[in-house]
Amino acid sequence: MAESPVPGSAPAPAADTVTVTVDGHAHTFPKGTNLLEACNQVGANVPFFCYHAGLSSPAVCRQCLVDVKGQPKPVPSCYTPVADKMEVTTNSAKVLDIRRQMLEFTLLNHPIDCPICDKAGECTLQKHYFDWDGKFSRNDGIKVHKDKVVDIGKHIVLDQERCILCTRCIRVCDEVAKSPDLVMANRGDHEVLTTAPGRSLDNPYSLNTVDVCPVGALTSKDFRFAMRAWELVATPSVCPGCATGCNIEVHASRDTVYRLVPRINPAVNKHWMCDEGRFTYKTVRQSRVVAPISGGQAVEWDRALDDAAAGLKAVLDRSPLGVGVVLSAQSTNEDLHALARLAFDHLGVQKAYVAGKDEGWHDDILVSADKNPNTAGAKAIGGGRLRSLADLSRDLKAGSLVALLVLGEEGVLGADPATMPLDKLDTLVVLACHHNDLVDAAKVVLPLTAWAESDGTFTNKLGMVQRIRAALAPAGDSLPGWEALSHLARRLGATMEFTTAKQVFIEARDKHPFMRGADWGRPILPVQLRFANSRG
Amino acid sequence: MHMWETIKGSFEYGHPGFTGLSALIKIVYLMLAFGPGLASILTWMERRQSSLMQDRLGPNRANIGRFKAWGITHFLADALKFMVKEDFVPVKAHKFLFALAPVLALAPALIVAAIIPFGAPLCWGHLTEIVPTGTCGQAVDLQIARLDVGILFYFAISSLSVYGATLAGWSSYNKWAMMGGLRASSQMMSYEVTMGMAVLSMFLIYGTLEPGAMVAQQGYWPWQWGIWGIPTALSFFLFLTAAIAETKRTPFDIPEGEPEIIGYFVEYSGLRFGMFFLGEFIEIVFSSALMVTIFLGGWHLPFLDGLADRVPNIAFVLITHGAWIVKVFLFTGFQLLIRWSLPRFRSDQLMQLGWQRLLPVSIANVLITAGWILYSR
Amino acid sequence: MAVGVKVVARPGSLKQQMYLPAIAEGMGVTFRHFIKNFVGNVTGNRDKTDIVTIEYPEQKKKYPERFRGLHRLMLRDDGQVRCVACMMCPTVCPAHCITIVPEETADGRIEKRPKLFEIDELRCVVCGLCAEACPCDAIRMDTGEHAKPTYRRADAVLDKEELMSRGIKSVAVQGGVGAFWREKPEVANTGQVQSANGSRSGADTVPAQIVPEGPPAGPVVAAK
Repeated sequence: MAESPVPGSAPAPAADTVTVTVDGHAHTFPKGTNLLEACNQVGANVPFFCYHAGLSSPAVCRQCLVDVKGQPKPVPSCYTPVADKMEVTTNSAKVLDIRRQMLEFTLLNHPIDCPICDKAGECTLQKHYFDWDGKFSRNDGIKVHKDKVVDIGKHIVLDQERCILCTRCIRVCDEVAKSPDLVMANRGDHEVLTTAPGRSLDNPYSLNTVDVCPVGALTSKDFRFAMRAWELVATPSVCPGCATGCNIEVHASRDTVYRLVPRINPAVNKHWMCDEGRFTYKTVRQSRVVAPISGGQAVEWDRALDDAAAGLKAVLDRSPLGVGVVLSAQSTNEDLHALARLAFDHLGVQKAYVAGKDEGWHDDILVSADKNPNTAGAKAIGGGRLRSLADLSRDLKAGSLVALLVLGEEGVLGADPATMPLDKLDTLVVLACHHNDLVDAAKVVLPLTAWAESDGTFTNKLGMVQRIRAALAPAGDSLPGWEALSHLARRLGATMEFTTAKQVFIEARDKHPFMRGADWGRPILPVQLRFANSRG
Repeated sequence: MHMWETIKGSFEYGHPGFTGLSALIKIVYLMLAFGPGLASILTWMERRQSSLMQDRLGPNRANIGRFKAWGITHFLADALKFMVKEDFVPVKAHKFLFALAPVLALAPALIVAAIIPFGAPLCWGHLTEIVPTGTCGQAVDLQIARLDVGILFYFAISSLSVYGATLAGWSSYNKWAMMGGLRASSQMMSYEVTMGMAVLSMFLIYGTLEPGAMVAQQGYWPWQWGIWGIPTALSFFLFLTAAIAETKRTPFDIPEGEPEIIGYFVEYSGLRFGMFFLGEFIEIVFSSALMVTIFLGGWHLPFLDGLADRVPNIAFVLITHGAWIVKVFLFTGFQLLIRWSLPRFRSDQLMQLGWQRLLPVSIANVLITAGWILYSR
Repeated sequence: MAVGVKVVARPGSLKQQMYLPAIAEGMGVTFRHFIKNFVGNVTGNRDKTDIVTIEYPEQKKKYPERFRGLHRLMLRDDGQVRCVACMMCPTVCPAHCITIVPEETADGRIEKRPKLFEIDELRCVVCGLCAEACPCDAIRMDTGEHAKPTYRRADAVLDKEELMSRGIKSVAVQGGVGAFWREKPEVANTGQVQSANGSRSGADTVPAQIVPEGPPAGPVVAAK
């Protein structure tokens, strides 16, 4: 995004910039900037429906019309590149009148069923109506009726009446998903959005059409009627679905996640995310380990930590060579750093392995084959010691491992649990988030917070260290990994006095080269969508 | 046989057994029957009297069949309700102090009755004979304890009830109860000072602290009673005001304020609340009894001078006891009249009244009384 | 003196400052009433006309028309619940006493309706904002009844069926009364009285919310 210059200041135009006068003030923009973007950058607040910064511009909604001096008619600003010495008016009586009339056109056949529309509260049409029109309808005829509740895909429901024909969804399918599923049919006020003959909206990026829809025409089946938008609170985070690390917002209300939506990051995911990533929130509260377990019994934290420390100590006193640690590619850099410091620096553990989810499908748009969000971080923190799960299997079979400390339960057992003879271990301590066979086999289980409950950082496949933020309260008695490991370290005689994730992050950043330059970010208040602008 | 004689002997007049048994009978009668009994009736009387004062119907629901009796059965219904209601204890309350507080509120109210003379002395062994005043050799005082410290005992014990209120507020683990308890303790401590000062001038006039002796000094004729005279009338007024404040009744009910401001016993229910409730009315009964003793001639029956010389001792004792009961009853009625006529003071007004008005006046009253006594000698 | 203390001038004369004459006067009044009524009770000829007591369950005061009482859910013509689960009422409710779980219907006429509609009458502060926020005339508080006392807290949570059992059919066109309702105030004023009396009596008289004459009301989704 171009830096917006200080309004009113007009330095001498360089070769690649142009000077445009917006509402009487001269501004400088890079050549080729879209006029709509330019106006909105300097606070002119030009409304639009069909334009989307991540898509091409068809100029079909006519909502962004502005007056350009020398042009006989108002021009669609989204379709006009800035030119030198352009004089634009966005707030004259004429422009406002045009804007209002365009809105009246758009609303002519809109059913105004906001009470039952999922988009209400974050609807662009609602916002523009209140911002620019605010008048009662003059339409006293019968509105054109089209099909409602049309099932057009695995995740999507279409309401043709609400559709304002902006074609954003069509362009998302064409340009982002590269799967032209949607088309416009018929003409005039009978024009409807529909699927192309013989197709349904099932591409892996289909839910982006819901995000870009400025009205409630396309709604997600998953989110449909689940929660009103204004009850949601948005927390910026990163998708844990794969190594791409798409930036997301977690939309939660009363300690329940209702949906994940993409957050703009031009370097990673731009405006988009895949459908698979959107559903990663489903498992956050599923089959969680909510209390520490020792010997098959739910116990207090103190008791579990004592048992874990005693079990590890008994082996460590004989030889640190008998102890192994498993790093998880699902854990945050902070948790991994805490484990690395405890195991390698303090306990002198030599055997380290890395685990994670199996590889899956991928494409060349956003989805990575590596389904772990922090493989890069785990590999970098583990360094040269790290070995594979095949090595773990071999060491277990050989009996050279007596105690195992596992951070993150995901994928440690691999496809065939028989290859991992855990019963040969004296001590198996697992820091786990969800129940699985490994957790059932463990001697001591310490409950971890899920990604949506944790503060920390993930390193994506490009090596970018990205911040995740806690959107929910920890489930049950669970603690973040670094905190649980600090408590365990204290019982093993190590000093790890971490009280916040940020302290761990700073220490890790100073130690690991791959995190150098990473920034924890300022503390931000979660945004309640009730007070935020429209989405889509 | 020897043993039996010894035991029998110890129950003769003047021996420990007799003294103990008579004291026990008096305790049971006054503290456990009369006080709570009259207090229970007061709970009904308060509602009945206020309804008559305010042109209302008054209690008329708890009828037993056709037995209505102006709603007097309401106090039985109340008692039943207190007993069967849920006894709720807040989770974070201090369990022991929470249980102790109502006891501390109720017990002092009962114990103060020990010094109050409630009838003419009984002449043991001469009950059916005419015994002129002062000629009985085997007198049994109708007073549980004839203490030389007398009224001071009353103050010492009644000031303990402040613990009941404060502990109730504190142990409930409720900030409103806490604030109510603090209001109660500040109010009760403030007005104790005035109460003591008010009655100090009466000590000077009577020359004694012992209530029995005070009653004896007052005569049969109403104009011989303690209330007459400028310093004593003032003293009566001050004492009455302070006593109402001590019982935490309107216009000084800031600690409780039933409908609006939450009081120290907000977390109490069932019988524990009943103890607070009953304790308040027992306080009214015995503070009235004390004022009757000091200011209104105690058990003296007005206009019947020389009655002791005409009727048998037992009849005389019963008549005087009846007179005492009527006086106490009417005086409690007077207290109810005050409670239902006056609006509540604000908290700062209450403190201002106590410390800036009543206390200086009561101190001045003591000085004037002392000067007058010095001059008149 | 502390900040923000307003000093109010107290009554001037000593008589007023003493309070005592006024106290005596006031006690005189109450005592006079006491004697009058006491004697009247004893002799059995108490003046009954000045008794202000209303013996509540048997005698009831007439509530004003705008009295806010127990909630009810209004019905459509076919007896279904009128509510479309738009969540306006739980959003606006200051006491968070309304719980709605929406559901989708197979019936094409109605897209969204409440699967669960619960009001916790113990939590309700009877502010009336829910009825005011309702865009469909679906929730009303005009029953003229109080919330019933219950032995268990759970019983004070009224479910959809119970709320609908008091409901009647609303004649308000779902989705509004047409385009020009605001421009014809004289029609709206006379027609929009939501007659609480009629509905409170439980009779079939429905509140007269009249659709203004002139241009027909805009058709709406749910009525399609």
